[in-house]
Amino acid sequence: MIELKDLSYVRFGTSNLEDAESFATKCLGLQVGEQSGKALYLRSDDRAHTLCYFEGDPTEQTVGFEVEDEARLNAAAATLDQLGHPVHAGTPSECGLRKVKAFIGFKDPTGNHIELVVRPERSGKRYFASRDAGITGFSHVGLFTTDPARDELFWTQVCNARVSDRIGDVALMRVNAIHHTIALAPGPRSGVHHVNHQVESNDDVLRSYYHLSGQRVPIVFGPGRHPTSGARFLYFRGPDGMVFEYSIGVDEIEDEETHRPRQFGFEPSSFCMWGSKRNW
Amino acid sequence: MTSTTHWSTPSRCPLIQLCYIRLAVQLPQQAAAFATDILGLQHVPNDLEPFLYRSDGRYYTLCFATGAEKPSIGIEIADTQELDRIADALGKDGFRAREATEDQCAQRFVRRALIVEDATGNEIDLVLRPALSGRRYFPSRDAGITGLQGVGLRSRAMKDDLKLWTTILGARITDRVGEITYLGIDRMHHRVVLYPSDRAGLVYVSYGVESLDALMQNNYFAEERQINILHGPGREPVSGQMFVRLAGPESYVFSYGYGLAEVEPDHRPRQFTLEASSLCEWGSQCVDIAELQPALAG
Repeated sequence: MIELKDLSYVRFGTSNLEDAESFATKCLGLQVGEQSGKALYLRSDDRAHTLCYFEGDPTEQTVGFEVEDEARLNAAAATLDQLGHPVHAGTPSECGLRKVKAFIGFKDPTGNHIELVVRPERSGKRYFASRDAGITGFSHVGLFTTDPARDELFWTQVCNARVSDRIGDVALMRVNAIHHTIALAPGPRSGVHHVNHQVESNDDVLRSYYHLSGQRVPIVFGPGRHPTSGARFLYFRGPDGMVFEYSIGVDEIEDEETHRPRQFGFEPSSFCMWGSKRNW
Repeated sequence: MTSTTHWSTPSRCPLIQLCYIRLAVQLPQQAAAFATDILGLQHVPNDLEPFLYRSDGRYYTLCFATGAEKPSIGIEIADTQELDRIADALGKDGFRAREATEDQCAQRFVRRALIVEDATGNEIDLVLRPALSGRRYFPSRDAGITGLQGVGLRSRAMKDDLKLWTTILGARITDRVGEITYLGIDRMHHRVVLYPSDRAGLVYVSYGVESLDALMQNNYFAEERQINILHGPGREPVSGQMFVRLAGPESYVFSYGYGLAEVEPDHRPRQFTLEASSLCEWGSQCVDIAELQPALAG
């Protein structure tokens, strides 16, 4: 089994790096960690980067997960290979671009680009946000799935993800105590559905609602509260149509042994218990 | 509602609680629909006032009075001695006050009432023994209301209105935003807020709800029913209270609130700058209520 320890980063191609930087700093509120030629490295916590924009095709979207060490990385490569997922071993220069010691790349059954990494870099300098959004860190991703049941099996049987709750057939899965690190979202294609950053307080969610509305950033869902994780949330649209989320108060699964996934109906109130309507 | 806190001056506030709001209305049926279908209050069937509503353990906290000329608020006074002392003080300082008739007391569900006019012309009933209800509160919808929480009053004579509230009635100033003045009578940050204005009247009537969830659910509930949201969802930095203010019937404004802070016994009134962020720290802007728009307020 492939043991995912944590989420590490997302990498997005973009046709306009300047727009991406403007959004990431003025709206989202991340810190520019490094800007090297055709790539922009953004920080959200004590990691050297958690979001990278690079000059390229916006459909190039990759999610990186950390694994324990190189031995487990090699074992993961062998497992994926056996299952028929072509595996690409990162070259030293590719590792440099990702600020990791080693990585492998593959596609999940839907075709999402996934990377498993070893020793992603942290930064000695503390995180200093570009605006007071209250971000405490990159926390989870939503991944499109063309077959929720099949992809749930991949993440839970091949990898170590556990289902925390389901909305209809859509699984919210965790790799550690946090309610979910991977949220599957049914869709016609592969790609990242949304990128979540945690913020300090409920006040930050509402402050950003008004701040972003004032910046004419399209708010696509919220302010609201997920009945599954308990998190208060705000979703809004960034460059190349990507949706970003702020949230606060995600439950932790305290008892790993006894937790049973709850089943929620596939209906609006399962996504927001306050009554906000999803607009994307 | 018993307080273990004792203020140094005055030794004990003679004001016990904000107990009711009576609103003068022209079209009570429409107001009634708003009270139950939107706000979620419980109608109280009785022989005297057809449009009477509960929000908590009290017999009522809201009345739509078809005969009334202007709105009034009811404040419970500790006892007869205090009420007599207040009546004397009001007379000496030239405030208009009249003893309510037996019928007027019955309509208000109190044993005695002194109907007072502040310097602005707002009507304040100082009452003894307002009625409670033996039956528990059962709301008409799941709005999470916990009770009548506060009221915003317009003031065009701030100095004299404050004299009434503080010197005579014993309320204390907890904070100010510009000249907007928050008044406390118990442990909570405020129960009455005076807003500088050019006329008399209520700025809003505020009902407390049990949680942020309830507040936000009410926000979306109102939005879905095309109720005009005049301010919020927002949060008052002075009191910590989160709020949503809705356009109610006949230009009355109703507010849901959650998170109103308690004040420490040694709290000193703070002065906040008159700007939008002093009225909402989240960034919501008020529409349609001049008293809540710092650019327009005095």
